[in-house]
Amino acid sequence: MDSRETLDSHERVDAEPPGRATAILARIGRGGLTAARHMGRAGILAAATFVAVLKPREYRREAFAQAKRIGIDSLPLVLLVASLSGSILAQQSGYQFTDIPMWVVGNTVAAGMLTELGPLLSAIIMAGRVGSGIGAELGTMKVTNQIDALRTLGRDPVTELIAPRVVAGAIMMVPIVIFANIVGIWSGWLSAIALLPMTTQEYVFGVRDYYHAPALIFSLVKAFFFGITITFTACYVGFQAEGGAAGVGRTATKAVVAIIVAIMMLDVFLAPLYKAFQ
Amino acid sequence: MIEIRGLRKVLNNRAVLDGVDLNIHEGMSLVIMGPSGTGKSVLLKHIVGLFDPDDGEILVEGMSVPRAGGKEIKEIRSKISYVFQNSALFDSLTAGQNIQLGLPEEHCRKVYALDDPLVHEAISHVNLGKEVLHLLPSELSGGMQKRVAIARAIVGRQKYILYDEPTTGLDPVNANVINRLIARLQGELGATSIIVTHDVESAFYLGDRIVLLANGRVQASGTPTELRESRDPIVQDFLHPKLETEVFDG
Repeated sequence: MDSRETLDSHERVDAEPPGRATAILARIGRGGLTAARHMGRAGILAAATFVAVLKPREYRREAFAQAKRIGIDSLPLVLLVASLSGSILAQQSGYQFTDIPMWVVGNTVAAGMLTELGPLLSAIIMAGRVGSGIGAELGTMKVTNQIDALRTLGRDPVTELIAPRVVAGAIMMVPIVIFANIVGIWSGWLSAIALLPMTTQEYVFGVRDYYHAPALIFSLVKAFFFGITITFTACYVGFQAEGGAAGVGRTATKAVVAIIVAIMMLDVFLAPLYKAFQ
Repeated sequence: MIEIRGLRKVLNNRAVLDGVDLNIHEGMSLVIMGPSGTGKSVLLKHIVGLFDPDDGEILVEGMSVPRAGGKEIKEIRSKISYVFQNSALFDSLTAGQNIQLGLPEEHCRKVYALDDPLVHEAISHVNLGKEVLHLLPSELSGGMQKRVAIARAIVGRQKYILYDEPTTGLDPVNANVINRLIARLQGELGATSIIVTHDVESAFYLGDRIVLLANGRVQASGTPTELRESRDPIVQDFLHPKLETEVFDG
């Protein structure tokens, strides 16, 4: 077979309309390339953010403003959800446990709140409240050239916009989760003594039986990383915004979805870490 | 001096700029005009390093913009101010704080924006009162926002001021006010102005020299008189657009 023949046969293959399998493969390939592109961009932005975070003098005023917005303003909603989840957990475990001592309810609520529900539910609430807000705010700044304006004014958008939000998110998420844990366990107790055949002593015994320092530390380590993930992901998605008002709306939605996926993935990787340190 | 050599930029598989050559001398007022989508704003963004060219060179006082690293690009940008098409004022900051952003960071940390004499001077240059300084951009009209954006561009006394469609979105009265303001500031401050517009009237009012961009290249360049007298059909088409209407019966 000479080279001309090879070329002809190649052209004939190219000329055929792509089959269904080829189209699916092409779509998967494009999806993979997009994911790789986003990971690369996010990696570069993460490195720039890390460098910017090391210069707190340049963003501390904005970090305090963001800490109030991210932390204090979100607290009522997070505590409401934490109290409801503590109550649900106590009731459901009480209804399920018929052949075992009731103090296990306290044990289950403490374990559930400290290891998962406290940090994870707080993070999901923060994704909806803070993540969408940051995504829409930075998205609007992007599409109205405010981020470009910062650059032309000799300011670094990463230092001015991302670093204060990430630092505020990482720091404020820890007390938020502490309060969420306390309120969840407290509401679990309230529901237990009101709705289940058990006493305060039994509930407290159950909580104490479960409690150990690594569980609390794990909860707070999770909170810290969730805080970084929520704010950084929202900032990254906001910086990618395109198109006018519709683009900003899409950006807010994308930010929430991306944060929830990122948090769940991080949670999957953090779980074995807890096992290792237990 | 700003020198642009063989600038080429492809966006969405289309060569928006396809070998642009331009020299911008100090103190001149250069107008870049052309139909929408011919890369006028893209050209401005290349000068200030917001876009990386696919090919070609941009030199600002001998410093290469595409090859500039962090420190160099900061130095280049310290010589240039940019008035964005939509003003690009920061929503969360007052007009005074927005204007003060045109000054170095160290200065902003030391002086409160409302008490800053440089901010007061800039706001008076654009014919606005000090009472505007404490207002948020959302509390200002479109024309006032544009003037605050110009105040932000002139407060740092940069050598080069880039105006991206400064009269777009304004009514004719406010557009005239902004044109007169740009012309007056050019005389008072002696900065080099590069003005992008598709408004022919504004172009002839403001430009010492006018460049017409078409099909990604410099189609024509010259003084306002030279351009008016040009026999190039593309130039004449742009300067004297024919309004074609079709009437359909039934």
